Amino acid sequence: MYVLQANDIYKSFGQLKVLKGVSLEVKKGEVIAIIGPSGSGKSTLLRCLNRLETIDRGTITITGEYMVKSEKDGRAVYSSEKDITRLRRKMGMVFQNFNLFPHKSVLENLMIAPMLVNQVSADQAEETARNLLDKVGLAQKANNYPFELSGGQQQRVAIARALAMNPDIMCFDEPTSALDPELTGEVLRVMRDLALEHMTMIVVTHEIGFAREVANRVIFMDEGLIVEQGTASEVLLNPQQERTQSFLSTVLMAR
Amino acid sequence: MDYVVSILPQMFLGWLVTMQIFAVTLLSLPLGVILGIARLSKFKPLAWFMECYVWIFRGTPLLLQLLFWYFGLMAVGVRIERETAVYMAFILNYAAYLAEIFRSGIQSIDRGQYEAADVLGLSRRQTMTQIILPQVFKRVLPPIGNEVINLVKDTALVYIIAISELSRVARIRAVTDDTLVPFAIAAVFYLLMTAIVQRFFKWVEARLDYYH
Ligand SMILES: Nc1ncnc2c1ncn2[C@@H]1O[C@H](COP(=O)(O)OP(=O)(O)OP(=O)(O)O)[C@@H](O)[C@H]1O
Ligand SMILES: [Mg+2]
Repeated sequence: MYVLQANDIYKSFGQLKVLKGVSLEVKKGEVIAIIGPSGSGKSTLLRCLNRLETIDRGTITITGEYMVKSEKDGRAVYSSEKDITRLRRKMGMVFQNFNLFPHKSVLENLMIAPMLVNQVSADQAEETARNLLDKVGLAQKANNYPFELSGGQQQRVAIARALAMNPDIMCFDEPTSALDPELTGEVLRVMRDLALEHMTMIVVTHEIGFAREVANRVIFMDEGLIVEQGTASEVLLNPQQERTQSFLSTVLMAR
Repeated sequence: MDYVVSILPQMFLGWLVTMQIFAVTLLSLPLGVILGIARLSKFKPLAWFMECYVWIFRGTPLLLQLLFWYFGLMAVGVRIERETAVYMAFILNYAAYLAEIFRSGIQSIDRGQYEAADVLGLSRRQTMTQIILPQVFKRVLPPIGNEVINLVKDTALVYIIAISELSRVARIRAVTDDTLVPFAIAAVFYLLMTAIVQRFFKWVEARLDYYH
């Protein structure tokens, strides 16, 4: 079963064509890593998938239901706001800059959406929140505020916050890029645990090592297109396209 | 000393009038929040209307607005109570200043906060009331404090339409009794009020200091 299907997505910002016909299908339990040079449209693709940006053309379905569909003339037409809201709840999103709510404690950060959006009781929400904090190794930070945590801890809270909504798929946009190198490990470990539990994940990342170990499929994007995709070893160890090869050599050279 | 005691009751009555204007004008705080949000509306005519509103009410002297609401309306045949004119002038004027403060406060909140709330499924209203405004209030507290202190002093302007607030009472006594003592007493009253306002805002700031 496909958790997410995106077909022939086009997206421009004014004159700038950022996505030029991207198609992506994600099966339940799959972990997909998206790599590619800066400006290739990776973030934009993720943002289109959960409608932080609207697409110009193409089709997106989530667990088989249309979020947006192309008309005959190619124009993208979105479903009703009510349907979209329901479908978007199935997707969790983790940002590069965490975007925790600074005025809420760690526990409150995890409880607010279940309570406001899903009308879960406070007790129930707190129980779920504490379990999730335990899972990301931050049970003892429940009553702290985000500013009191390290970047790595903040990102783990952000992951737990997304999980609190019990999503069918988790999207990560360079979750470790804003972190000091010594803090990336703890975040990647949490993500690896999620993958082992068969959480469906799309991860935009510069961590080639993580992609190699954890991803079922690696997608290389460049200039708004998927240039190459396949298993981690196919794409990372034996790339067929010249652009993939040159990207990988610069990335691997840099470390 | 006897003189001071003798005019205190009268000064105190003036002070009550001042306090009343002050207290009623605080209604401009919630109004300012609403207008500040309206100013950022995606509905262009509303945003444009708010821009005009702020331009007019911030761009002309409060004194002039006071005269307009009382004498101006009277001239075109609309009679309103003196107090009503005062409240109109003060609330609309202060709401314009506060709307600008809230607008810039709202705009200073990182876009990531909206996006995080959005992907978690919060509605626009929930995002505003639960995520954005609480952070805005903390940020705008110092400029709001300034405005409230200005308000304490601006209440003296209503002497122009012959309302006997603190400063007018002082002036009348000073002229009739040929002494500056009433002015000194009025100054003490104002200083006390601004000190209390300052204290109050310090206290709120301290209470909101639990996060950065
Ligand atoms: N809101 C926007 N308005 C205008 N242009 C945008 C916007 N968002 C992204 N872009 C442009 O779209 C292009 C793709 O950006 P995107 O952020 O998707 O790249 P990316 O692959 O995520 O890059 P990076 O690795 O640096 O994060 C860039 O040229 C960027 O400047
Ligand atoms: Mg990006």
